[in-house]
Amino acid sequence: MLQNKIENHRFKILRGVIFATLAIILVRLFFIQIIEHGDWVSKAEKQHTLLETITAKRGEIYMMDHGEPVAVVLNQTTYQVIIDPTVTKKEDVEKVINTFVKDYVVVDLDEVYKKEGLRYSIVARNVPHSVAEEIVKAEVPAIWLKKTNQRVYPESELAANALGFVNADGIGQYGIEGALNDILSGKDGLLKTTADINKVALSIGNDNIKIPAEDGKNIVLSIDRGFERGIEEITSAALAESAATNAAVLAMNPNTGEILAMANLPSYNPGNYGNVKDASAYINYTTEVPYEPASVCKSFTFSAAINEGKMTPDTTYTNRGYEIIDNKPINNAEKRASLNGTIDMRTALYWSLNTGSIHALKLLGDSTNEITVSAREKLYDYYYNKFRLGQSTGIELYESKGFIWEPNAETYGLNAAYANMTFGQNLNLTMVQVASAFSAVVNGGTYHNPTIVKGALEGNKITPLSTESVADKILTDETSATMRDLLVNNRKNKVLRGIDRSGYSIGGKTGTAQAIKDGAYTMNEFIGSYAGFVGTAGELPKIVIMVKMWGEGQHIEGNKDPMSLFDSLSNYAIDYFKIKPGV
Amino acid sequence: MATRKHKSDLVILFSTLGLMALGLIVIYAIGPMRANVLNNTYGASYDSNYFFLNQLRSVALSLIVFFAAFKWIPYKYIKKFAKPIMIAALIMSALLWVLALAGSSLAKCELGECRWFNFGPVSFQPAEFLKLALVVYLADFLARKKEEGNIGKWKEFWLPLLVVCGLSLFLVVIAQGDLGTGVALIAIIFSTLFVVGVPTKQYLIMLALVLTVATLAVITSSHRMERVDAWLTTLSGGESTDSTYHIDNAMLAIGVGGFFGVGIGNSVQATGYLPESINDSVFAIMGETFGFVGLFLVILVFGALLVRILKTAERTPELQERLFVGGVFAWTLAQVVVNIMAMTSLVPVTGITLPLLSYGGTSMIFLAFAMGLVLQLSCYTSREVDIENENTSSRRGVRRTHYSSRRRRS
Repeated sequence: MLQNKIENHRFKILRGVIFATLAIILVRLFFIQIIEHGDWVSKAEKQHTLLETITAKRGEIYMMDHGEPVAVVLNQTTYQVIIDPTVTKKEDVEKVINTFVKDYVVVDLDEVYKKEGLRYSIVARNVPHSVAEEIVKAEVPAIWLKKTNQRVYPESELAANALGFVNADGIGQYGIEGALNDILSGKDGLLKTTADINKVALSIGNDNIKIPAEDGKNIVLSIDRGFERGIEEITSAALAESAATNAAVLAMNPNTGEILAMANLPSYNPGNYGNVKDASAYINYTTEVPYEPASVCKSFTFSAAINEGKMTPDTTYTNRGYEIIDNKPINNAEKRASLNGTIDMRTALYWSLNTGSIHALKLLGDSTNEITVSAREKLYDYYYNKFRLGQSTGIELYESKGFIWEPNAETYGLNAAYANMTFGQNLNLTMVQVASAFSAVVNGGTYHNPTIVKGALEGNKITPLSTESVADKILTDETSATMRDLLVNNRKNKVLRGIDRSGYSIGGKTGTAQAIKDGAYTMNEFIGSYAGFVGTAGELPKIVIMVKMWGEGQHIEGNKDPMSLFDSLSNYAIDYFKIKPGV
Repeated sequence: MATRKHKSDLVILFSTLGLMALGLIVIYAIGPMRANVLNNTYGASYDSNYFFLNQLRSVALSLIVFFAAFKWIPYKYIKKFAKPIMIAALIMSALLWVLALAGSSLAKCELGECRWFNFGPVSFQPAEFLKLALVVYLADFLARKKEEGNIGKWKEFWLPLLVVCGLSLFLVVIAQGDLGTGVALIAIIFSTLFVVGVPTKQYLIMLALVLTVATLAVITSSHRMERVDAWLTTLSGGESTDSTYHIDNAMLAIGVGGFFGVGIGNSVQATGYLPESINDSVFAIMGETFGFVGLFLVILVFGALLVRILKTAERTPELQERLFVGGVFAWTLAQVVVNIMAMTSLVPVTGITLPLLSYGGTSMIFLAFAMGLVLQLSCYTSREVDIENENTSSRRGVRRTHYSSRRRRS
C-alpha cells in the first residue's frame, strides 16, 4: 500500500503538470485572442490587403482645325530602365546602354556605382516600346523595365504657354494642363481586396472594393491650330525685327468670346519643360500677368461717354496739351501745336490725347471742368461692372484679377487716378480682360466671357464643360457702331497706304505705358500694346486681335512695332479665315 | 492479476475519434488553399482535394490500427517483443541516416533534414515508430529492473538505459535534425523514470545532464539558435525578421481569430502566409477559424484525454503496463504542449505535430496504435492497484520522510 501511495503522489504531480501547462496556454490564448485581438486584426489587414491603384488615363488635348478637333497633346507609353547596382554588373549595364538606350540615359553611371547601398536607379527614361522589347529579348539579368505614361506634344512649342505641361509626378503645371488638371487627370480607381501570399485576390473578406478608374476627359480648345501657328510665325518674325524681346498675342471671336489664338513668345517645348532655364518662360502673359494697357482703354472711356449720351465724336473741348488734376499736370504724349485749341473727340482719339479721355470722364459726370464723384462712379460702373475689367473673366486658365480703384476709395489723388484710368494707367488689367472688353465695344455692345475650351470630346461629340456663359448687352448698337467708326478712323492712314485692304472694316487702338519697376514708373522701359478688330466692311467684326510687346529696358511704343504686328496679323486673319470683302 | 475486464474508457475513445474528425474537417477546409499555394509558388500540380484525401486515408488507417490495438492485439504480446521492436526502430532510423548520407533517393529530405523513407507515393517517418518503440521498451526495461531491484544501479540500470536512450536521441536529434521528436523522447524517458521512481538525486543529475546536452545541441546549431533568437525577439515584441516570420504569422492567425473565429473556410493565413499551415501550424489555423471558444474546447478535449490516460496509468495493476500508459501520456502531453506553446510563442518553434490533428500519416498512425493499446488497458483498471507482485526492494531510494509525511496526511 505504501508503494501505491508514493506512486499516487507521482501521478498527482503529473496531473498537476497537465493542469499547469494547459492553464498557461489558456491564459496565453486569452491574451492573444481577446486582449490583443484588435492589434492582430490590424496587422493582418496590412498583410492581407492588396491595395492597387487603377491609374486613370489622362485626357488628351485638342485644338480646332478647319472646324474639326485635332489632337495636340497625346499620351504615349514609354519605359524606364531600372537597375539594382548591387546586383547588376556595371559592364552589363553599360552594354545595354550602348546597344539600346544611348539617347535616353538620364544618369551618370559612374556616379550611380559610386553610391554605396543604392538598390534602385533609373538609368534611362522615355524609352519607346520597340526599344524596350529589344532589351527584354536581350535577357540581361536584373534590369527592369517600368511602364510609364509620357505626355507627348507633337506640335512642340505651339501655344505652349496656353497648354502647359505635365510634371514627373503626372500633375499638370501651367496652362490648360495645370488649370484643368482635375478634369484631364480623371480619377484613379482603387482595388482593395484580401489576397493570398502570391497577391492573388481571394473571395474571403467583406470589405473588398473595386472602384474603376474614371479616365480624364479629352479637352477641345477653341484655339485654331493653323491660325495659331501662323500667328506665332508672324509674331516671331516681328520680334526678330524689333527691339522687343517678348510678345504676347491674343486673337478671339468677338461675337462668342472664343479664343482663336493665344501666343507667348519666346516659348518652350512642354515635352522638354525641364530644359527651361528661367521659369518665367512658362508664364502665360495673356491671362496671368496684369499690366497697364494704356491708351487702348480710351476705347472704353469713349464707349461709356457715348453710350451714356454725354458726347458724340463731334463733341468738342479745348485741348491745352495737359490737364491739372489734384494739383498735378497730366500731359499728352502727342504734343504738336496744331492740336491745341478746340478739337473734337474723333481727333482726340486719333491722336490718342489724354486730355480727350479726361474730358470724356468729366462729361460722364455732367461737367466740363471737373471730375465729379458721379463721373468716377459712372466710369467705374462701365469699367468694372460692364466691361468686367479688374476681375476674373472665368477663362479656363490660371488668371490674375488685376486691379481697379473703386470710385470712393479712400486714397489721395483719386481724381488723378481716375483721369489716368481713362487712358489705361493707374490700373492693372490682363490682356484677356482688355480683349474681351474691346470685343464688346466693337461687336454691337455685348460682353461675352472669354473662353478657350470648346468642351470635352466624347466620341465625335463636343460637350461644353459648363453651361454658364455670359452674354451681357452693355452698349447700344449705335454706341458700338460709332466706336467702330472711330476705331476705323484711327487707321485711315493704313487704308491710304494700302495696308488695310478695301472692302474690310479694320479698326484699332494703340497703347503705350511706362513699365513699372519696383513699384514706380520708369522712363527707361515702355510696353506697347495694340487692340484691333477685323471684319467685312459693313458687317460686325470677325476677329479681335490684341498684341503686347516688351523688352527689358526697351522703349516699345504701341503705334510702332505692336501696331505693325497687328497690321500683319489682321491681314493674315483675313486670308486664313477667308473673310470676304464687303462693298 | 485479479482485475476483471470492464468497459473501456469512453473519454479516451471519443476524444481520440473527435480530434481525428476535427483534424479532417480543418484539412478539408484549408487543404485546397495549401495545394493552391504550392502550385502557384513552386509550380507543383496538386489537386485541390489532395491533402484532404491523403488525410482521409491516414485517418482510415489510423482507425484500423486504433481498433486493432484496442481489440485484437493484447498488450501481453507486444511487451514480449519490446526488445526486438526497439532494435528494429533503431535500425530503421540508422538505415535512414546511412541512406541520407549516401544520398539515396529512398531517403526523403526537406529543408536539409532527412526524416522520411520514400516509397514512391507513400512515405514513412521512422522517428514516429521510434517513439512507440521507446515507450514499449522502457516500460519493459524499467519494470524488469524494478523487479530485479536494480533501479539506480550503474551497470545494470543506467548504462543500458543511457545507451538505448542516447542512441535514440542521437539518431533523432542529430541525424534527422528533429528536435521536436527529441523533446517527445526526453519527455517519455523522464516521465517513465519518474513513474517507476529512481533515486531523486540520480534523477536530477540525469535531467541536468540531458538539459546540458540539449542546450549544447541548440547552441552549436546555427538554425536552432536562430529559432531561439526569433522566439526571444517575438517575446520582446521586436522587429519582424525572416526568422520570426513563422511565429509572427502563427500568432497573427491566432490573434485574428478573436473570440469566435473567422469561421470555417475563411482563413486567410492558410492561403500561404502561415508556413506548415496543415501540419505543425494547424493549431494556429484552428485559432483563426474557431477563435478562443474553439481553442478552449480543443484544449479541454486534450486535457480530458490526458487526464484519462493518466488515470488509466494510475489504475492499471501491472507496473509494466502502467509505465507504458505513462509513456503514452508523456508522448501526447509533450507534443500537445510543445506544439501549442510554440504557436503561442511560449517556447521556440521546434517542428512538432499536434497529436491526431495535424496533417501527416506516420505520426497519427503510431499514436493511434498507442492510444488503442491504452484503451485496451483501460478495460483492466482497478480502483486499488494491486502491487503484490511488485518487489519490495523497489522501496529503496524513496526517502522515508517523503512518504511518512504523506501518511500523516492520509
